[in-house]
Amino acid sequence: MKTQRVADIAVGCLVAALGIFVLAASGSIQASMAHRLSPRTFPYVIGGLLIVCGAGLAFKSWSIRGKDFPIAWPDAEGVRTLVVTLAILAGYIALLNWLGLPLATFLYVTLATWHLNRAKWVTATVVGLIAGVISYVVFIQLLGLSFPAGFLLE
Amino acid sequence: MGFSFDYLIQGFATALTFQNLFWALVGCFIGTLVGVLPGIGPVSGIAILLPLTTVLPPTSAIIMMAAIYYGAMYGGSTTAIVVNIPGEASSVPTAMDGYEMAKQGKAGPALAISAIASFVAGTISVIALTLFAPVLANFAVVFGPPEYFALMFMGLSLVISLSGRALLKGLISMALGLAAALIGQDPLTGASRLTFGTVTLNAGVEFISVIVGLFAISEVMLNVEARIVAISDMEIRDWMPTRADLRKCWGSILRATGVGFFLGLLPGCAPSVTAFVAYDLEKRVSKHPEEFGKGAIEGVAASEASNNATSTAGFVPLFSFGLPTAPSMAVLLGGLMMYGLQPGPMLFAQNPQFVWAVIASMYIGNVMLLILNLPLVGMWARIVRIPFYILGPLIVFCALVGTYSLRFQILDVWVMLLVGVLGYFMRKLGFPIAPMVLASVLAQMLETALGQSLLISQGSVLIFFARPISAVFMALAFLSIGRGIWAQVQAKAPEVAVEDVD
Repeated sequence: MKTQRVADIAVGCLVAALGIFVLAASGSIQASMAHRLSPRTFPYVIGGLLIVCGAGLAFKSWSIRGKDFPIAWPDAEGVRTLVVTLAILAGYIALLNWLGLPLATFLYVTLATWHLNRAKWVTATVVGLIAGVISYVVFIQLLGLSFPAGFLLE
Repeated sequence: MGFSFDYLIQGFATALTFQNLFWALVGCFIGTLVGVLPGIGPVSGIAILLPLTTVLPPTSAIIMMAAIYYGAMYGGSTTAIVVNIPGEASSVPTAMDGYEMAKQGKAGPALAISAIASFVAGTISVIALTLFAPVLANFAVVFGPPEYFALMFMGLSLVISLSGRALLKGLISMALGLAAALIGQDPLTGASRLTFGTVTLNAGVEFISVIVGLFAISEVMLNVEARIVAISDMEIRDWMPTRADLRKCWGSILRATGVGFFLGLLPGCAPSVTAFVAYDLEKRVSKHPEEFGKGAIEGVAASEASNNATSTAGFVPLFSFGLPTAPSMAVLLGGLMMYGLQPGPMLFAQNPQFVWAVIASMYIGNVMLLILNLPLVGMWARIVRIPFYILGPLIVFCALVGTYSLRFQILDVWVMLLVGVLGYFMRKLGFPIAPMVLASVLAQMLETALGQSLLISQGSVLIFFARPISAVFMALAFLSIGRGIWAQVQAKAPEVAVEDVD
């Protein structure tokens, strides 16, 4: 998947496969006789569209040779930073209900900020603290939105 | 029911009392805050404050509610421009050019033009509302499901122009948006679709999660990977748009106001749809369509003008027929009824002092918002220079609060993350992301209108071509599709990355 052409062929095939999957899954939707438009119609159309466009993209990219250019994938360091950033975010979401918004926000912002600039761990803690406090004072106390406050504050 | 200067002047007299001015100002301020803060859109903003206004007299309360609503429309553009988080679908086209401008050190002019465009569009729409409200309201009634379907279909055909030279990729992006919208319950029959037997997925995918994921999360990922220091390290040169910028934008603002206002009269035609239509129109009439998506100031002006015109136009069917055109209008309708005011043709006859005071307050509110917003431009614009290691996590925090607060379901946040990763790959591989947003916004309305139309016509699709208004929309849609396909067939080029879209 280093060049656009190879990537387009691969993605086209993937999209077509997704279309087949949508078509297959649409078959099990409970149809209703009472309506003119069956709940299966739209899913079938969209599945078909995915197959046609995916296959079309793969075929078109395969048939056009010559002009091709590399895709700007990140270097190893970039990939590592990105994966860790996403992992921290996934942890934030997974622990949100358990830790509560304020604590989870504090931990997430602190960790993510520190991860992006190791030298600034004091700044990271301060920013995390501010975000955590804002999340509690503004969104839970002031606006009264039903965010989980977490076991510490409930 | 007609317009009378006496009523308007009386309305101004009521709106200009200290008490009403004060509540309008409070409303504008809260509205702007609601627009800027994630996690609380105009609907929840008004809904939360509705019970608190019971201490106010009805006119002051509705003046304040209305101010919150259009204030939020002003404020919504700020996050779209500064950090690429369009909190609502209506700010998506604003983000496409506004954020690019911010990256180029032009956040100031982008924010200022959005305030100016909002002001001009808001004011022109209020004038139109004043003069033609009762007459224009009839426009909404000739719109049945077939017309809606045709309009939504035309909206979807904008994918062709949003895709640029990568038509197949644009169509795939659109199909992905439609597929995401399918998950959950069928709007007509309630049958579960693509939920794979899980109860969680029955709730469906919220399109705001899709938008925030595609824009904010994927943008953060790209910035993390590129190890950027700040969103823009360019010296901020100007705070305000230049004369040349203003000259460029006048036409766009006026056209977008027209589009936004007329489409806004229709129930169900949300600012999100009109903002896309107006943006697309500007791209088509522009002498430099290639600049759109790369920081064209006209794009920001058109999108902001149209979404403000639409929100003002929504008051026409609300006052004249009691028809709420958007969820926030439905909350306002609830507010009116709470005070014993029954919107409908009789409202103008029975409570003229109330209606005209609210309309007059909108003129004042628009001026207030401009005065409130222009001085703040400098403050908002500085955000882009905050080091990214601090701003990035904060953007994600805002995005999470925004999506979680939609329904307080963790599913929406996971969807945001997944779509964010998808958006990252789409942008890397040259897939335009705007068609996916458009499709996920339109999908349900499109299917509902199709189902209802087919019920009326007993299954015949000819209904869309037999009624004049829907026939015109269908013709425009097919023309646009035909033109796109023809352009593709002619150009035997690979599906090129379309940076001008995302």
